[in-house]
Amino acid sequence: MKTETAPLGPKRVTGVPVDRPKRTAGVQTYIPEIAKGLGITMKHFFQNTKEMAFGQRNDPSLEAVADGINTVSYPEQKRPYPARFRGMHRLTQREDGSPRCVACLCCSTACPAQCIHIEAGEYPEGDPKRGYERFPKRFVIDELRCVFCGFCVEACPCDAIRMDTGIHASPYDSREQFIFEKDLLLSFPGRDGSHQTANPRHEPGEPTHPGIDREHGH
Amino acid sequence: MSLLASILATLLWLAKLLALWVLKPFFVVMFAMNVAVILTWADRRQGAMIQDRVGPNRAVAWLPTRWAQAFVVLPALGVVAAIGFMLVKLEPAPEVRATRALLFCQLGILFTWLTGVFIAGRVQVRGVRSSFDAWIYSLGDPRRIFYGGLAAHVLTLFVAVTFEGAAAEQLTDIQYGGGAGLLIFAILFGAGYAAFSIRNEPRIGLRLAGLLHPAADGLKTIFKEDFIPPNADRMLHSLAPFISFFPALVVMAVIPFGDSLCFSGVSSKDFGELLPLMPANGVCPGVQYPLQVVSVDVGLLYFFALAGTGIVGAALAGWASDNKYSLLGGLRAASQMVSYEVTMGLTLVGAVMIYGSLRVDDMILWQRDHAWGIFVQPFAFFLFFAAAVAESKRIPFDIPEGESEIVAGYFTEYSGMKFAMFFFAEYIAVVTSSGLMSALFLGGWDLPYLRPDGLHVTFGGNQMFELALPHVLVVVVGALGFVLKTITLCWLQLMIRWTLPRFRYDQLMRLGWRKLLPASLANVFVTGLLVLGVASAGITVGRFVDLLGDCSRAFVALGGIAGFVYFVTFLLRPVHKPQTLASSSAQFAASAGGTRSVRMGA
Repeated sequence: MKTETAPLGPKRVTGVPVDRPKRTAGVQTYIPEIAKGLGITMKHFFQNTKEMAFGQRNDPSLEAVADGINTVSYPEQKRPYPARFRGMHRLTQREDGSPRCVACLCCSTACPAQCIHIEAGEYPEGDPKRGYERFPKRFVIDELRCVFCGFCVEACPCDAIRMDTGIHASPYDSREQFIFEKDLLLSFPGRDGSHQTANPRHEPGEPTHPGIDREHGH
Repeated sequence: MSLLASILATLLWLAKLLALWVLKPFFVVMFAMNVAVILTWADRRQGAMIQDRVGPNRAVAWLPTRWAQAFVVLPALGVVAAIGFMLVKLEPAPEVRATRALLFCQLGILFTWLTGVFIAGRVQVRGVRSSFDAWIYSLGDPRRIFYGGLAAHVLTLFVAVTFEGAAAEQLTDIQYGGGAGLLIFAILFGAGYAAFSIRNEPRIGLRLAGLLHPAADGLKTIFKEDFIPPNADRMLHSLAPFISFFPALVVMAVIPFGDSLCFSGVSSKDFGELLPLMPANGVCPGVQYPLQVVSVDVGLLYFFALAGTGIVGAALAGWASDNKYSLLGGLRAASQMVSYEVTMGLTLVGAVMIYGSLRVDDMILWQRDHAWGIFVQPFAFFLFFAAAVAESKRIPFDIPEGESEIVAGYFTEYSGMKFAMFFFAEYIAVVTSSGLMSALFLGGWDLPYLRPDGLHVTFGGNQMFELALPHVLVVVVGALGFVLKTITLCWLQLMIRWTLPRFRYDQLMRLGWRKLLPASLANVFVTGLLVLGVASAGITVGRFVDLLGDCSRAFVALGGIAGFVYFVTFLLRPVHKPQTLASSSAQFAASAGGTRSVRMGA
């Protein structure tokens, strides 16, 4: 029995013969071809000049596939980022303006770049929150080390850290300016303009608090 | 006291004389240099537009909104005041009253439809914001306003020509008041609308489409380091830019930029007053003031002689730089310019045979009386155009510069303002060659049917339409025509630059010596035969040639009007672009009303 095997050695290249371009009288005299080329450049020139002059140029975000100038004239024009864009971090706030963060260190543990530094603080004696959660005395993110992976957001059990500011990494001129402290992180609103999140927060001691507390055991 | 008065009078007379003779060179130099500066910008801008890019438009001067409003409103008020002064204080002589009434009417209609189209265009772009916007939007396509304006133009002209006698006088009164009123209203309304529509802007960016860029570039080059290579010939290296800059500038001197102004005085020492109307035969009864810096018999030869010395600058720069690439570039420039100089001269021999003069002003007069040069010598026009582009060392003939082979050619070792002078000289050469071409082939300041005493539409000896126009207006319109033709030719040269790739050096030489030169010689022989043939032929052939001239004039006039109408309708054509909302970022953009004109943040 004979089996088909591919021949050894380099594969044969089969080409398609292409005709040489026809050197007609028009091509040879060069002038009709110049006129054709001028026609094309003039068409683009007039169309684009008109659209620029009358403010009719393409919207670079909405009409990006249309003919014409699609340049984004940054920073006058900005292309909006997609909904899931991971921008600069923000710390979400509770209703009283304090951070939602409970200083559990999940985010700094999950961070592959180790750019999050948290110093946890205990609530004073007698505070209903004492013993249930802590608060961040310092919450520092080194935005130069950050790789914008979003693991911190996924790790957070309290929806306290988010990357939905829509702000891209900023160009500063010194390293110190990239060290974002707690107050700055708290000051960024989300893209919807809110400093809070849609997830409700149930403080210990409130009747809606779902878990165990000192009054309600299992 | 009388001594003081006489001294004052003498001073005034001197100042007047000086102004009359200094103004012309000043105007010509300013024209060439400013157009050259604008060309450096237009070149980049045009290249960007052709390649679907924005190009240089980032230079901006921010104006407070109040200033911008003042810049719009104050000139408008000034113009309105001038018109009002004319209406109230300067009652025209009865024979020019009808003409002035018609002019008022036409200008009023022009400004009305211009304002309407402008506002309609703005409303189309940024949406309806007021009830007036809604009304003008309800008119629909802005092209309708333009068509309405055109109809009004033609109708007023027609009515003014057909009425005669007492009805005509009454009509003149109506047109005089109504036209001026319409003009004032349109100007005030347009300026007011513009000022009103920007009232909520925090500040107005004065970009002038990017025209601030060449100004910034010019300032920059002045302050840049002026580097001279250590082993260069210091004197020649510094002299070369001036040698190539100077001839480019002075060749404009022999090109007239307008018809002669006619004064009532008797000698060039006492001009007297400007004539309000030229006599019907077109011959100036007083003293003429030619709008040309020098009117010399050798006209065209002067142009070629001086344009030829531009070679010296490039060659010197190449030699004095002590750089192999510069030397190669200088050699290339010298041989190329010498080669194409020959063709340039020979293509014009045919034209000179027909015009019968070397004076550029005589050539324009011949073209006004017969036909434009491009109809008489079409072949020479194309040959001359190609040779002129090669002569100004521009793409596709910019082999002396050849940055892909020899860095930057003859100006490799130049920096700062000296480099800018080479660049500038190149652009000025574009302007001057375009000026010469428009004078030789496109009739210079001549516009079809515009005679010194007014508009005369004739065909085959029949007077079809006649309108007396003020002398100054005819001259000014002619000068504007010359400027327009020159700028169009400059634009065409830039367009060729952005269309064609660079030739190889041997191709360039072959084109020059083996194609253009024999073709121009053939043109000389054929033209000679035709000139002899027409001269020796009978009266029928002469009539036929005159008829051809009439046809060319009608062609230019009708073609110009049709081209203008087509151009305006092209500008007003609405745009429909396909929108795609495929991504969430596009949805964000759509909900924000688009990102086309998002204002710069704080």
